[in-house]
Amino acid sequence: MTDQRLQNEQSQATPEVERRNFIQAGLASAAAVLGTSVLPSPIVSASVPPQMRNGGADQIPRRPLGKTGEKVSIIGVGGYHLGTVQSSDLAIRLVQEAVDAGVTFFDNAWEYNDHRSEEWMGLGLQGRRDKVFLMSKVCTHGRDKKIAMEQLEESLKRLGTDHLDLWQIHEVIYENDPDLHFAKGGVVEALDEAKKQGKVRFVGFTGHKSPAIHLKMLAHDYPFDTVQMPLNCFDATYRSFEQQVLPELQRRGIAALGMKSLGGDGQPVQYGVVKAEEALRYAMSLPVATTICGVDSLDVLHQNVGIARGFKPMPPQEMQALRERCRPSSGDGHLELFKTTKKYDGSVGREQHGYPTSAELPI
Amino acid sequence: MNATRRDFLKVSAGAVAATSAVSANSNEASSSIASGRSGATPAGDAGNMIYRRFGRTDVHISAVGVGGHHLGDVKTLDEAVQLVHEAVDAGITFFDNAWEYYNGKTETILGRALRDGRREKVFLMTKVCTHGRSGKLAMQMLEDSLRRYQTDHLDLWQIHGIVYDNDPELAYAKGGVLEAFDRAKKEGKVRFVGFTGHKDPAFHLKMLELGYPFDSVQMPLNPFDASFHSFEKQVLPEVNRRGMAALGMKSMGGTAWGIKAGVVQAEEMLRYAMSLPVTTTICGMDSLDVLHQNLRVARGFQPMTESEMEALRARCAPTAADGRFEPYKVSLRYDNPMTRMPHGFPFDHTQREVTEMLEKADGPWLVPETTPETSRR
Repeated sequence: MTDQRLQNEQSQATPEVERRNFIQAGLASAAAVLGTSVLPSPIVSASVPPQMRNGGADQIPRRPLGKTGEKVSIIGVGGYHLGTVQSSDLAIRLVQEAVDAGVTFFDNAWEYNDHRSEEWMGLGLQGRRDKVFLMSKVCTHGRDKKIAMEQLEESLKRLGTDHLDLWQIHEVIYENDPDLHFAKGGVVEALDEAKKQGKVRFVGFTGHKSPAIHLKMLAHDYPFDTVQMPLNCFDATYRSFEQQVLPELQRRGIAALGMKSLGGDGQPVQYGVVKAEEALRYAMSLPVATTICGVDSLDVLHQNVGIARGFKPMPPQEMQALRERCRPSSGDGHLELFKTTKKYDGSVGREQHGYPTSAELPI
Repeated sequence: MNATRRDFLKVSAGAVAATSAVSANSNEASSSIASGRSGATPAGDAGNMIYRRFGRTDVHISAVGVGGHHLGDVKTLDEAVQLVHEAVDAGITFFDNAWEYYNGKTETILGRALRDGRREKVFLMTKVCTHGRSGKLAMQMLEDSLRRYQTDHLDLWQIHGIVYDNDPELAYAKGGVLEAFDRAKKEGKVRFVGFTGHKDPAFHLKMLELGYPFDSVQMPLNPFDASFHSFEKQVLPEVNRRGMAALGMKSMGGTAWGIKAGVVQAEEMLRYAMSLPVTTTICGMDSLDVLHQNLRVARGFQPMTESEMEALRARCAPTAADGRFEPYKVSLRYDNPMTRMPHGFPFDHTQREVTEMLEKADGPWLVPETTPETSRR
């Protein structure tokens, strides 16, 4: 009981802190284990990732991004965490080293960390912009096309570029979001407009709450190029994006972008339910184009790069065994708080939906 | 909605021929059919209280109930006791509570308020808080509740907080809380049993599908619910079809944020909830003022017409659509700390109930086991 209470108290720490703790604790061993792996083996079924381009043992493998003809690195740098590091110098260095190591996929959002995430990533990409596949997200949260286009200009300016490779609708997590996004004059019209203007190449959406909301977005049959979602070994048996959304994306040839491979805050690892390396390997072994990882230190970056270089997909039997092992603890959603609580729901979206702030309604 | 009118007329207004839907006759009608070991026997100025039949039993209970959690929010113990006294004297017979509210404080308050001859006048409920743990623990909680209530039996014992996806299967597990229900009934310590939860209609339906013969089911019912993960649409018809007593709660949306935002008014919210086919509507009352307001609504109660209800639902639908005024469905805010703990969900240290709980290092929340099967985590 004391342990239980401790865990509950620990869980009040911020997600950033938990993520960092986990990665420092866990990924060193993951790198040690996975660093010795051989090159990726050929893909044999639909339940394994798209075919990877083998660039040699010192290269980070790439996978096709759906039907776009693009290829992206199998790990991506998450924009949120980049804006949480202690200085712009460190953020710039993280971006530069990631690019130089062969990471091509860069995630971000207009609203992250009061825009610092985009600004610092922009600084880091100076002189390297052409080597990456750059994404940001638009944060209308139900507001109109005009606001979306203004946000796009701001994102381009902060990121120091004249175009985005991918522009996604951020945080589709409220049940009426699909209706609002597809309403006349809504953000989806902005996606069309931005493509026409040549300011974005591809478009998609993201959200962490409910497979049903993702499917509602897809039901509009809009030609999204990508869809981002939480994918991890707990999701597999709980309100599952893997079971409900991923097959639909495969069927349509839309690129899947995975996130929250460690449950969002790394707690499953702290609880000892799963080991860091197997959780990450599981997520990367799903049929996704890339797995977006929070990176907030050089150590974490180096570890992630090491894992990606040596990555070998988990065999299907091993994935199934892991799902079954996680099932008892996944059943109430306490290891995926982004689905079951308000903890991960951003402030701009809360405001637009008339919800209290995180201070007033933390979870 | 037809059922609303039917039940209402059958129970409380059967003898009403003329003026008001809640004439003095309703009292007569109900008290003559109220029965049971501690059935409803209205007293004092209870003449205008409405009583409805509890499921398919021969017991009738007041159409308004006093919520247990808010008794812990009343400013002083004296006022809380007075609130209960006035409620009983005004003819309210249904009293809600839970083993875990404020570390047992609200059961103790209610027990003290009922001890001088009022226990027999009420239909006394509390809830068991195993949250997936064993039937053995449930029986220990029952003894706690009876001791705090200073009584030898409960009229209704419900499983508290069916709010996480796997709660139904844990409740039905071998050695789980349902075995305690059977035993407690056999030992004469509880008359009726049920369950409650505020999260998701699907969990309630699972509890029903698995087949235990519950006497009652408690759920949030209000005009926002009608358009968002709706208990009214999905659960209420099923509960009534099975002849179980439907107990409504959160008629104001829990936080009353919809009222503060100016979308709805308190009185129409309560009238809407009471107009649904429910046995009672449980209201949180944290002051005598609130009790008096509720009594006013209950005494003058006339069911809303179907078109009134539809208009109110339509007015609420736009803001209901993202759940903003029903935080119990979309956040942990209404999951009690002792509900979260066995499931490993984090506490919210801004809540007074949490800080009070953690202050008591040897408090009742330190129950002797955490999960029914140790491998849960």
